[in-house]
This record gives sequence, structure tokens and C-alpha cells, in this order.
Amino acid sequence: MLSEIVASVIAFSIGSNNTSNAFGVSVGCGVLSFRSALILIGLFVTLGSLTQRRVMETVGSIASLNREIVLLVLIVSAVMIVVANIKRLPVSSHQAIIGSIVGAGVATGSARLGVLASIILSWILSPAGALVLAVLIYTLLERLISELPVFSAERLLYVMLILSGILVAYNTGANELAAALAPVVSAGLLPPLEASLIGSASLFAGAALLGGRVVETVGKGITNLDPLSGFSAQLSAGLTVLAFTFLGMPVSTTYCLVGGIVGVGLLKGVRAVRVNLIKRIVSMWVMAPLLAFSASYLLTIALVR
Amino acid sequence: MKLFRRFSFGRTEKEVIELFREHMNTVKMACEVFLMALETDDKGLFNQVCELERAGDRLRREIALKLYGGAFLPAMRGTLYKLAETVDEILDMLEDTAIDYLRLNLHLDEEVREMCVRVAKINVKMSRDLIEAFNALRSGESLENRTVKIRAREREIDVLRNRIYEKLVKKDVESYWEGKILSDFIDHLVYVSDIIEDAADLIQILNVSLR
Repeated sequence: MLSEIVASVIAFSIGSNNTSNAFGVSVGCGVLSFRSALILIGLFVTLGSLTQRRVMETVGSIASLNREIVLLVLIVSAVMIVVANIKRLPVSSHQAIIGSIVGAGVATGSARLGVLASIILSWILSPAGALVLAVLIYTLLERLISELPVFSAERLLYVMLILSGILVAYNTGANELAAALAPVVSAGLLPPLEASLIGSASLFAGAALLGGRVVETVGKGITNLDPLSGFSAQLSAGLTVLAFTFLGMPVSTTYCLVGGIVGVGLLKGVRAVRVNLIKRIVSMWVMAPLLAFSASYLLTIALVR
Repeated sequence: MKLFRRFSFGRTEKEVIELFREHMNTVKMACEVFLMALETDDKGLFNQVCELERAGDRLRREIALKLYGGAFLPAMRGTLYKLAETVDEILDMLEDTAIDYLRLNLHLDEEVREMCVRVAKINVKMSRDLIEAFNALRSGESLENRTVKIRAREREIDVLRNRIYEKLVKKDVESYWEGKILSDFIDHLVYVSDIIEDAADLIQILNVSLR
């Protein structure tokens, strides 16, 4: 029961933070009301969670862990995610969960390093893929928009902004939430269908109760980005995460979004990219899984002994 | 490409576009009524210009409410509102000019009047060009010809302004106030074309705002 509660806390936390990935820009722009964004989040996260099991299977296959160790893994992940949220550090829930699972898996000798290697490779390839895709999408759209009357171009961006938000919401259910629920499902604590429904409900609660504040911050921060750049970054992140979801790889929407923004920034000249911010994000990208790994490894060793 | 061109506007966006057309038509009407008033020296027609200014105020307020109620992406909203304000400024300036004329309470020198009528005629043409430019923005046709035409007409008015002043400095006035109001009347009349040019520039900015 405790494991399910901790998994729900993680799902709640994903809901409170990732609502902004999907609809921060749309709500900030006034394209959608927060209420409409919530309805779309609820629908498409649940759809993603119910229709895609590959990520859940991959994360569940990283290590064979018993119920007590799964609880430990979830607590370590939840603490990391909550602390990162409080300290406003760009930590992905995937990294905390996978770092913890690998730590516990190494401590118990059940870790499958081949699976881990493919996950790490996807963590490197996904932001790079989003970067390349953003450059392509931006270039194509820029050409298309230059040939359209400005009001039609505006409408096109408007509709595509909502569609890319829906795509990100779907990915949140199919990838981020699936990774958070994987330890509970693989340890047999909950059947996949129940886990998906409970996880989606918790994520929706997080989005409804705390998502508005984050959406407001992200929305106001990102609207300075011109709509074409913002949309290209978001769509490239959404498509990249979707592709990796079909491959069964847990990847972070936030990091793909960063890859997309850097791609658009590079198109506009290297000076447009805030190098210090990127350095900070990359350092957290390396540190977060290592920290989760160490904490989980040491606690598992202590628990097993 | 044809598919995207058919992309229809949302309901509020359509309403905003319609309000803009109505606003610009009000400017055209005000320019025409002003010209007629100047040609016929009809005080009642000058009062009609003031009524059209009030109609313009209402339209600007409606546009603002719809824009900040969520119509269009924020990247365009600011420029669209600035356009509404600028179009409204044209009407304000026409009203000021009409009031100056009513305050003058005297007949303009025939030569000066003739040049003022020429300025007012060019203002009418410019208000029509502005509507054409806005329609071109909507349909995606080239704006270049329209805005070049507006700029050329504005330069024509600048030349007329200098010629009017050349005449005016040789004219005796009975009091300081008569001279001041006369000078304000001429300044306001020629300034209408400057504001129409500003509105045309904003239409051009809108055209590249999402590029």
C-alpha cells in the first residue's frame, strides 16, 4: 500500500510540473484557459498511459527487485523529485527513478546493464534528436509561413500549438508516468491497468492543484520567445519523445524541449543561446541520476544487510 | 498550400477583423465628410466629423476588449492594438481639425482654402489606400505597392504644407488667437496624413510579425 502511495506522490509531482511542458505556452498565450488545458491533460495523459506499455516494460526490466526494495527506490525517487521541485532544479523524474532502480539493482546484483546502456544512449540521443528536428521544423515552417497571409499563419500556429500540447500530454502519460509506475507494476504490487488509472488520477490531481502556478510561470517566461521558435521547440520535443516512447525508451520531455530551444537558438546565431543555463541543465542531467544511484545503492545495501 | 490558405479564423478573430474594417471605413467616411464640409463651408458637416470620432472610440474599445480577451496570439496582439489606437488617432486629429475650423469662424483666404481642399482630397485617397493595405494584409497580396503609394501621398502633402505656410506668413491676422487657431488648423489637417502613414507602417509590421 505504501508503495502505491509513494508512486502516486511521484505521479502527483509530475502532474504539478509537467502540465507546463504541455500547455504552459498555450495558457500563457491565452490560446487555452487553464480549465480547458486541465481537461486535455486529463484525457490525453490517461490515453497515453493506457495505450502504451513499452516504457513501463523497459523500466521494469532494468532490475528484479522485491517489494521492500521497490518501496525504497520509490521513496528515494520521490524525495529527489520533491527536493528538486522545491529548489527549482531542472531534474527529470526519469533520472531520479532510473538512477534509483539501477542503484538498488547493482546492490542486489540484479541490474541488467544492457538495458541501462540503451536508456543512457537514449538520454544522449533524445535532446540531440530534438535539436535537429527543431532546426528542420523551424526551417520548413518559416518557409510555409512566409507564403501565407499573416492571419492564416497565425491561425495555423494557434492550432498547431494546441496539437503539440496534446502530443506532449500524451507523452507524459505514455512515457513519464509509465516510468514512475514501472517499479510498482514490475514488482506485482498493482496490475498495469489499475496502476495506469491511479497514476493518471494522481497526475491530474497534481496538475489541478499545483499546475496552475507552474503554468503561469512558464507561460509568462516563454511568451517572450517568438511563436514560431516556441512552437518548433515544443513540436520537436513532442515528436522526439513519441518516437522514443514507441522504442520503449524512457526519455525526458523537459530535456528534449531544451534540445529544441537550443536548436532554434543556434539557427538564430550562437549568441541567442544562453550557454550558462545550458551548462547548469547538463550538469544536473549528469548529477541527478548519479545522486539517485548513490542514495539508492547505499540504502539498499544497508537494508539487505 | 491551398489547404492552409483556407484556414478559417476563430469567431473572436473574425469579429476583430470586422471591427478593424469598420474602424477604417469610419476614417474614410470622416475624411470624405471633412472634405465635403471644407468645400461647402457647412458647419453641420464638421459636427458630423466629431460624431464619427465618437463612433471610432467605441470601435477601438471593442477591439481592445476582444484582443485582450484572447483573440490572436500575443505576438500580434500588441501591434494590432497599436493599429487600433493609431486609426483612432486619425479620427481624433480630424475632429481637432474640424473644431479648429469651427473656432476660426471666418472665411479662409480662397487660395489657402483651395490648397487645404487639395490636402483633404489626398487624405481621402490615403484613407482608401489604408483600407486596401489592410485588405491586402488579410488576403496575403503584396503590401509594397499600397504602402509606397501612401508614403508618396504623404510627401505630396508635406510639399503643400510648405506652400500653405508661404501664403499664410504674408497674411495679416487680427489677433494672436486667430493666428494660432489658423496655424493649428493647418498643422492638424496635414498631420492626418502622417498618422495614416504610421497606420500603414503598422500594417507592414503586422505582416512580418510571425515571420
